[in-house]
Amino acid sequence: MSTITWAERRSLAVWRRRGSKVLVYVALLAVTVIMLYPFWLMGQASLRSLPQYYLGRGFSLTTWHALFAALPIGHEMLNSTLITLSSILVILAVSTTGGYALGTLRYRLSGLVFLVVLASMMVPVQSMIIPEYINLAHLGWINHYYGAIAVYSALGAPFATFLMTTYFRRLPEDVIEAALIDGVGYGAVFFRIMLPLAVPAIVTVAVLQFIQIWDDLLVGLLFLQTPANRTITVGLETIPAQHFQNFPMEMAGSLVSALPAVLVYLIFQRYLIRGLTMGMSK
Amino acid sequence: MRRIISGCAALAAIAVLSGSAFAAGGRSNGTVTLTLWHNYGTGGNAVATKNLVAAFEKQNRNIKINVVSQPGGNYFQLLQAAWIAHTAPDISVQWTGLFDTKYEKQLLNLKGYFTAAELNKIDGAKWASSNFNPAQGLLVIPLENQFYIGFYNKALFKKAGITSVPTDWSQLFATCSKLKAKGITPIVYGADPQAIGPNPYPYYDLSYIAAGLWSPSQLKGLYTGQTPWTTPALAQQISTWASMPKKGCTNSDVLTKTNILGAFMQGQAAMIIDGNWDTATLQKAMGSNVAPFLPPFTSNPQRGVVQYSGDGFAVSKQSSHQKEAVQFLKFLLTPTAQRIIAAAGLIPDVEGFKATNPLANQMLAFAKAGKVAYPMIDNVIQGDVVTTGTKQLDAALGGDISAAAALKSMKQTHDSLPADQRGNTYH
Amino acid sequence: MTRCRRTSGATPTTDDRRSRQADDASPLPPKWAARARRLAVSAEEAAADLVKLRRQARRSPLAAQRRRMGILFTLPVAALIGTLLLIPIGQTVYYSFTNWDGFTSQWIGFAAYRHLFQNPEFVTVLENNAVMVLAIPIAIALPLGVAFLLNAQLRGWKFFRSVFFLPTAVSWVVIAFVARRFFDPDKQGILRSLLDHTGLGFLHPNLLAHEHSALIAVMITFIWSVFGTNMIIFLAGMSTIDQEIYDAAKVDGAGSFMVMVKITFPLLKRFVQFAFVISLITAFSALFSLIIVMTNGGPGYGSTTLEFFIYEQAFTENNFGVGATAGVILFLLVFAVSMVQMRMLRSDE
Repeated sequence: MSTITWAERRSLAVWRRRGSKVLVYVALLAVTVIMLYPFWLMGQASLRSLPQYYLGRGFSLTTWHALFAALPIGHEMLNSTLITLSSILVILAVSTTGGYALGTLRYRLSGLVFLVVLASMMVPVQSMIIPEYINLAHLGWINHYYGAIAVYSALGAPFATFLMTTYFRRLPEDVIEAALIDGVGYGAVFFRIMLPLAVPAIVTVAVLQFIQIWDDLLVGLLFLQTPANRTITVGLETIPAQHFQNFPMEMAGSLVSALPAVLVYLIFQRYLIRGLTMGMSK
Repeated sequence: MRRIISGCAALAAIAVLSGSAFAAGGRSNGTVTLTLWHNYGTGGNAVATKNLVAAFEKQNRNIKINVVSQPGGNYFQLLQAAWIAHTAPDISVQWTGLFDTKYEKQLLNLKGYFTAAELNKIDGAKWASSNFNPAQGLLVIPLENQFYIGFYNKALFKKAGITSVPTDWSQLFATCSKLKAKGITPIVYGADPQAIGPNPYPYYDLSYIAAGLWSPSQLKGLYTGQTPWTTPALAQQISTWASMPKKGCTNSDVLTKTNILGAFMQGQAAMIIDGNWDTATLQKAMGSNVAPFLPPFTSNPQRGVVQYSGDGFAVSKQSSHQKEAVQFLKFLLTPTAQRIIAAAGLIPDVEGFKATNPLANQMLAFAKAGKVAYPMIDNVIQGDVVTTGTKQLDAALGGDISAAAALKSMKQTHDSLPADQRGNTYH
Repeated sequence: MTRCRRTSGATPTTDDRRSRQADDASPLPPKWAARARRLAVSAEEAAADLVKLRRQARRSPLAAQRRRMGILFTLPVAALIGTLLLIPIGQTVYYSFTNWDGFTSQWIGFAAYRHLFQNPEFVTVLENNAVMVLAIPIAIALPLGVAFLLNAQLRGWKFFRSVFFLPTAVSWVVIAFVARRFFDPDKQGILRSLLDHTGLGFLHPNLLAHEHSALIAVMITFIWSVFGTNMIIFLAGMSTIDQEIYDAAKVDGAGSFMVMVKITFPLLKRFVQFAFVISLITAFSALFSLIIVMTNGGPGYGSTTLEFFIYEQAFTENNFGVGATAGVILFLLVFAVSMVQMRMLRSDE
């Protein structure tokens, strides 16, 4: 038998817990540094002018001035915001209803529909974007906001529906059944019970899709061909040219482009916290 | 949350209602509006384009040109997509060589719009023509003359006791050892300063290696396959070239070094192989301490200079204002235009006009001194082969594979091309 | 917002007791607390009816309404995906059997597929994709572990959670630059300095310069970049787990690790499946910008994935037909691997 006294065992346990806590913090801090490094890189590079970048020393705001002079940053950010938010709205509308149908209601064909939704995510966008483009060109939807919104919604819907279905499946049935007994219809159940419950998933989808759509290049490039309706991500691509790389300006542009996504996440964190803590407490 | 949703819905409604098409061209009170697409980013070419359009509009008050800057990467995919959807611009920037013969079906053939005398004034007109024959009609009017060239640091050469610029392999390796003895990196290789990708661009070097083996017209053999990529003479030259890092002629991290232009400008390396597009930057930073030289990647003294007009403007066949668009192209050949081009730091492509940068004029002097003008080799071989070559030649330079293996890959790619892409007519 | 009762398999009476306790303890607004109480009471009374209902499920009008509503609620997503995704996908499948340059196409049937498999570059590319699959389990395990750590809500967890997610907001181009700097074998390389400082400097990893190791560098970068996304998915998933279960486990004396393995992980199986599929799709079809800036598919074909190959063929060489053919093959690969994975992680719910 062990000769450690009860007191020693207790303090060992406490120490082990404290020790493991320290380890946890160290690990988390290490990961933090790794995660924040890109921002440091972008910031530092953007504060040099091009000659200063080549020579490796000196700081100035030249690049930032030049960036705002070269591109209509404000206008393009507005375009990005408009298009991204509209697309997210459509995606949320489509995926919550779809997730409810496939995850909660689960009628006979829903397995097949789910499979099709899943499969449509798996075709690489590079392979099918040109037929998509040709189709929309025939409809005259090129160079309009709604063309881009339509394509982004379609591209994001499968992922969102997949997540919503997964999430809805894990929500318990008894609440619905209780409501049904009360005489509430399936439709009202969706709006009054399931939707509020799904807030964590909705926020997750919204944040992830925001970043994906905001950062997208290919669809924006093809479907919005003029600077007036261009998104910021595509606009930033006009800085480098065939024989000219302005690395500091590209870094400045990337920082500008990353900020909204960061902001969106930080703001929506509040809703995410609420949803998560409600799930964990009673 | 609900407020946010309704706010978004309102924005979406505004988006849909106001997202109307933007005029691609039109005619109102006799004014013709043209659209011009370029992929010049924010550099000198963009400045030149802007000024050229302004000057042209002043001379032709009934024509207005909308200049649209398109992203540099994916530019040609965008153009292709626009042609498919019939939303293509009237005038677009095109690269010369096989890059424009590829799109020949979409480009207006300029035969008949320009006289033979006008065409003669253009340096390198044949590379911008159908089947590389000006008589078959020009497809692109070049904007500027360009070079693949080497630059060297005069002070570092002096420090290492080098009195003359190397002109062949043996002299190069001798130069390298002298520089190495003084702790100077002889040639710095790394990520191409012109591209966002990580690779060195092997076609600066390959152009000069080819110049040492063949005449400009003999380069067609590489296109048709009559001169296979694995031909022994070429294999030997590539082998020597790929041995440079091992012999200490370059830095050790040839495949991963970034900012090589900075390294050259800071005096860490004595030589760099590049194009003429960084001339202004180099001039400003190094003044008279930098000079161009012809990369001596040959067994016999280097006889060629890669002087080639790589890009310019073309008119789309789909344009409904072809006459006015061609007027802009004609304007490019006038003295006013050439002076604007020179003022923007570019090298004029029309005979009789000088560049403003002394370095550029030194480069032009090579041809005048009797060097033969060669095209950029990546413009005159098939795109698939260029793609394979970038990867394989880089891997050879990095020591991962042998020169023979790299060339074998390129030959494989070439042989698997459909017959009409390696026939007697340039497509 | 209403708060529903979360119990898995508890009997009605326990429900009732717990729900009353919940009302006293929860911060619900009174209106909803009352409703919850009513629900609890009526549920207890109707427990027996529920059992009967389930038996009559298929033929009852309720089931019919359920089916109708199911179809109705599926319509939006079906319409959107049907018109704007399935049609172009169908066209892509058609074009995969042709030679197509964007303007004109020429039917060549299965020769298109044969030609592709005869291309040695293509075979290398497939091998690269096979290797990439190995990164997926790691790309899931790490965020899962960290999500679990954060779930413990140690002090400052909110800060960490924000920070871990930030790289998701950064564009692939910047990530590629950072990665290049990280793997740079020169003194300025981050990995090199880390190894030097921890005494492991004798290892000279030069991952990006060799054909067979460049892909590993890409995989590491990929894992780092999907970390935030997967973490947030698992956190959302964990929000569906009842706190009671954790409490009960702690009462039973289970340590943290046991809790994670025996409770959290099984309940999160569906989310792990989800994250697997999403990570797989990202690895196979969203890394183009990363690869082109980080390694350009090289050295040689070392880091050319199928997606990169498709982009090159379709957009650089204008061989859209080849792009379509390879795209169909990519789809089949992703589909196959996903189905295998789902079967392996089959959860019995």
